[in-house]
Amino acid sequence: MKKITAAMALTASLGMGEAHAANWLMLQGTEPAGSAPRAKVWGFIQPEYQSTGGTRLKAGPWKGQDAVFNTIGPDLDSDSTFQLRRARIGVRGTGFGLDSGVNYFILAELGNNGITKFGGSGAVKLTDASITLNYIPHARIRIGQFKYPGSEEGLMAIHVFNYINFTNITNQQLLERFFDEDGSRTATTEDQINEPNGSIGAFRDIGIQVFDSFTTDRWEHSYAFMVGNGNGINRSDNDGNKDYYLYWSSELVFGGKGPRREGWKLFAWYQDGKRTLEYANGKSGEQEFDRTRWGLGTTYLKGKWRGSAEYIKAKGMIFNGTDGAATPGSLNNAGTAYASWNLLPEDQADGWYLDLGYRVLPKLELDIRYDIEHRGTDTDKNQRDLQTWTLGAQWFFNKKARVIANYEIRDIEAPGLPSSAVPNQILDGVDNRFSVQLLAIF
Amino acid sequence: MPIRPSPATLLLSLLLLLVSNGWAEENGNKPFAEKHVVLQISDPNPFKQTLVLNVASNLIKHYGQDQVDIEIVAFGPGLRLLLADNTNRSRIEGLAGQGVRFSACSNTIRAFTRKLGKEPELNPHAVRVSAGVVRIIDLVSQGYFLIKP
Repeated sequence: MKKITAAMALTASLGMGEAHAANWLMLQGTEPAGSAPRAKVWGFIQPEYQSTGGTRLKAGPWKGQDAVFNTIGPDLDSDSTFQLRRARIGVRGTGFGLDSGVNYFILAELGNNGITKFGGSGAVKLTDASITLNYIPHARIRIGQFKYPGSEEGLMAIHVFNYINFTNITNQQLLERFFDEDGSRTATTEDQINEPNGSIGAFRDIGIQVFDSFTTDRWEHSYAFMVGNGNGINRSDNDGNKDYYLYWSSELVFGGKGPRREGWKLFAWYQDGKRTLEYANGKSGEQEFDRTRWGLGTTYLKGKWRGSAEYIKAKGMIFNGTDGAATPGSLNNAGTAYASWNLLPEDQADGWYLDLGYRVLPKLELDIRYDIEHRGTDTDKNQRDLQTWTLGAQWFFNKKARVIANYEIRDIEAPGLPSSAVPNQILDGVDNRFSVQLLAIF
Repeated sequence: MPIRPSPATLLLSLLLLLVSNGWAEENGNKPFAEKHVVLQISDPNPFKQTLVLNVASNLIKHYGQDQVDIEIVAFGPGLRLLLADNTNRSRIEGLAGQGVRFSACSNTIRAFTRKLGKEPELNPHAVRVSAGVVRIIDLVSQGYFLIKP
């Protein structure tokens, strides 16, 4: 009994339950005790326009055709398009208001993106469906489909993301596409272009997570440990392997609450799993490959200033673009092969970003971000360096509506190859990208 | 020669003591309060919890801590405000420190107990009253302003 009392006293002294706001682990699926609604309907809409110069491939087997890096995803059909990037609606709450121990969170995606388009087009897909149990001191339990603990870009709520597009390293190596093959087989029919076999990962997994946050003075510390299928969303596992996720953050809280609480946060994360491919390295038959990711970083928000930086390392399964940088499914000029999606199943990548924002006016924030990805670093000829400077402006109509404009100055090169080599000739055609996105939360 | 109070004096003193204690009890620790306010929270909407606490804070800011006597009466779904794990408990602690009283309806506590299968744990600053609505009627009859944010 004394031990229980002591544990309760410790819990109280560490402020359990107070550390609710401004923490992605807690904000997405955990409700404030005693004051959460039974069911709160909410969501957001993000229509946008994106455009590149539309420069076509300058060399290679698909010379003169559309370059995948100059088309707009997820459809990759055009170099300038209006589209509904995200349209999500969900319900969250406590269900039984007298017991704050059980929270639920369900969210569906109706927009045009890798969640709805990959693995079947145009469907409404669930992004989140989780139940959180808040009964064990310092060990809340979340079960279902939800964001796994990981990089800041992936874990943060997308409706407070300060840019339209993710950084290169996040987009390619963390935002997972799931494939049956590595793309090493020459696609002689359109059925062999190794299309993603399901929704894009969306930084989510299905599994169980133990987590909590607690405060000591002005610091808020959070931890999470998760086991998940590692096979994407809205389906069961495709093998017996599980993904393991670890996360820690410590934040010096300056004040405020909610997603834009002011503070200085340090964080680190790690995830490890295996993927099963049915064709890889030129051989058919099931083969397993490691997929490991880790990173560390920091965020800062105080007054008019905002900043973040993160280093990310990827090992094992590495996303490697498409054949000849052509749009997937396009036939080469010789008529011998279709462009397919590619993976490097046993390689490495790393990258980092630095992002700064400044509120020049109460409703206007100017942003600048630099990011770089070194992809396929195990072999010189495979390595590609993707770097982007993003200039941005956000105009906040109010706390729930804003417009973002971004201009991305993009550059990709193959550093292990001479500038006259075909890959570098192709990559000379990478255009800058302009995008505008409107957000309304309800 | 020692002065011995008469029985009548003793009786009068006792009556004065009872009356003054009763007045002090009704006024909490606000003997100099010129405004007496009862705030009702009976709504399930969580925003109302924040609102009722804000109103109490604003009244204290406007009139001064010693000049206004506030009691928040919670009943029905509004009693969630006074459950021990309520996320607003630090604000309740702060307001209680400024003399705000919190009354919890016993009828609602019994109803919660039936639904939960156990008695809910209340905020330590909550004082049980037999019925929230009766408490409000009593306070209004004593001259309190009733405000339902």
